[in-house]
Amino acid sequence: MQIIPQIETPVSKNYSVFEENLIKLLNAIKNNTQNNTGTYNSLPQIIIEQNFGFNALLLCRDLKEKHKIKTAYAFNMRDKNRISLLSDLITLKQIGLKDIIVFEGVHPLKTEFKSAKPVYDIDILGLGLMLKRGLMNDIQADLFNFGAVIGSSAPVDFLKAKKLIDIGADSFFINYGGVNPDESMIKYIKSKNKKLFLNVKELSIKGSLNDFIKSIDNFGFDGVIIKITDENLNVFTRK
Amino acid sequence: MFLTEKKDIQEIDEALKKYKKIGVVGCASCASVCLTGGSREVKEMKKHLEASGKEVTFTISIDEPCDKRVLKEDIRFVEDELKETEAVVVLSCGTGVQTIGEFTQKKVISGTDSKYIAQTEHIGEYYALCGGCDVCRLNFTGGVCTVTLCPKGLLNGPCEGHNGNNCEVFEDKECVFVKSYEMLKKYSEEDNLNKIFEPRDYGHSAARTKI
Ligand code: SF4
Ligand code: SF4
Repeated sequence: MQIIPQIETPVSKNYSVFEENLIKLLNAIKNNTQNNTGTYNSLPQIIIEQNFGFNALLLCRDLKEKHKIKTAYAFNMRDKNRISLLSDLITLKQIGLKDIIVFEGVHPLKTEFKSAKPVYDIDILGLGLMLKRGLMNDIQADLFNFGAVIGSSAPVDFLKAKKLIDIGADSFFINYGGVNPDESMIKYIKSKNKKLFLNVKELSIKGSLNDFIKSIDNFGFDGVIIKITDENLNVFTRK
Repeated sequence: MFLTEKKDIQEIDEALKKYKKIGVVGCASCASVCLTGGSREVKEMKKHLEASGKEVTFTISIDEPCDKRVLKEDIRFVEDELKETEAVVVLSCGTGVQTIGEFTQKKVISGTDSKYIAQTEHIGEYYALCGGCDVCRLNFTGGVCTVTLCPKGLLNGPCEGHNGNNCEVFEDKECVFVKSYEMLKKYSEEDNLNKIFEPRDYGHSAARTKI
C-alpha cells in the first residue's frame, strides 16, 4: 500500500525553503518499509493542497518539472466559482498535471475567515460531470484523473459515491474520522475498478504510523493519504 | 413570510439628518408579523421622530407595500400630506422600500434589515427553509431543501465533513442529506436518491427580475 503525504501550501513560510523540505520529506517516506512505491508507481508521490496559503499550482509545477516528482493537486469547491476553477484547470493542463483531487471544503464559518463568502458554485459531482463530459471551455473531456473526497459514515455517502462512479470519477478518497469505513462501500468502489484511498489526518493516528498502516491493511486500499501540517515535524519524521 | 429586523435607530437618524418633514409607512403583512413594521412600530417611529425634532407629516400602514396595486390604492389616503413630505421612513422589507420609493418618487429610508423567507415557529423564532433558488428541487429531495438547509448549498450529496448524522458546520443539526435520505425512504422514492443534479444555472436566476 502506498503512503502519500498531503500538505497545504503554507501562509507564511518561504517558498524555496518549503520546497526543499518537501523533497527531504519525500526521501524519508521512500525509505519507509511499509511504503510499497514499486507496485503503484503510477500514483502521485505527494498531494499539494490549495487552502489559505500561497499558490499551490506554482509548487505543483516546480515539484513536477524541477524535481520530477509525480504530484497531485487538491482543491475545494468553497473558494472558486466555475470561471476561476477553469483558470486553474487551464493552468494544470498547460503544466501537464493530470491528477486532481476535489473536495467540497470546510465551510468558512469553521475557519478563521468567518465572514468570507462561501462560493460552492458547483459541487464536486457537478465539476466531475463538466470535466468528464467536456463541458468546460478549452478542457477536453476526460483530460484529468478525477479524484473525489467522500465520507463513508452514512448510507447517503454510498449514494454519492455511486453517483460519482456514474459520472466517471477515477479515484476515491474516503475521509477517515477514527472509525473504519463501510466495507460494502469499499467493495462497491473496488468492483468498479476505481482506485481507492483512505484520507487520514495525522492527528487521528494513535500510536505509530506502521501500526496504523497494519490496522487498515486488509481493506484493500490502493494507498493511504496522510495529511500533515508541518513538512519538518510530522508522523513521517518523528522518531 | 419575509423576515425583517429593526434597523439600528442611529442609522435611520443619520439618513434623515437633512430632512425635516417625514412620513412613516408600515407594512401590515410580513413586517407586522415579525414586529418590525406593524401599527405599533409605526407609532413608535413617529414618537421617536417627533422627539428628535422632526415633523411627521403622516403615518400609514399599507397591507402589502410590495404590491404596486395595493400601494396605489392605499397611498391615496395620504396623497396631500405626501406632497409636502421630504422623506419617507419605510418599515418593510427592501422590496417594499424600493416599491414605495419608485412609486412616490420621494427619498425613502429603510427602517429594517431584510433577512430571509422565514418559517415562523413563534414570534422571535424563525427558520430559513427556502432561498428562492429559481428551480425548486423539493420534488426530488423528499421535501427538504438542500440548497437552503445545507450551509454549503450542495445538490448531489453530503460533503466529506459530516459525522454520519450531524452537520459539519452546525454540529447540533442533522445533515440535510441524511434527512433527505430518510424522507425519500419514507415515501418509497428511492429512485430519486440516484438523481444527478447538474450545476445550477445562475445566468437563469439573474434574469428573474422580470418573469
Ligand atoms: S430548492 Fe429550496 S431554495 Fe430552491 S425553490 Fe425549492 S425550497 Fe426554495
Ligand atoms: S454536513 Fe451536510 S448539511 Fe452540513 S455542510 Fe455538509 S452536506 Fe451540508
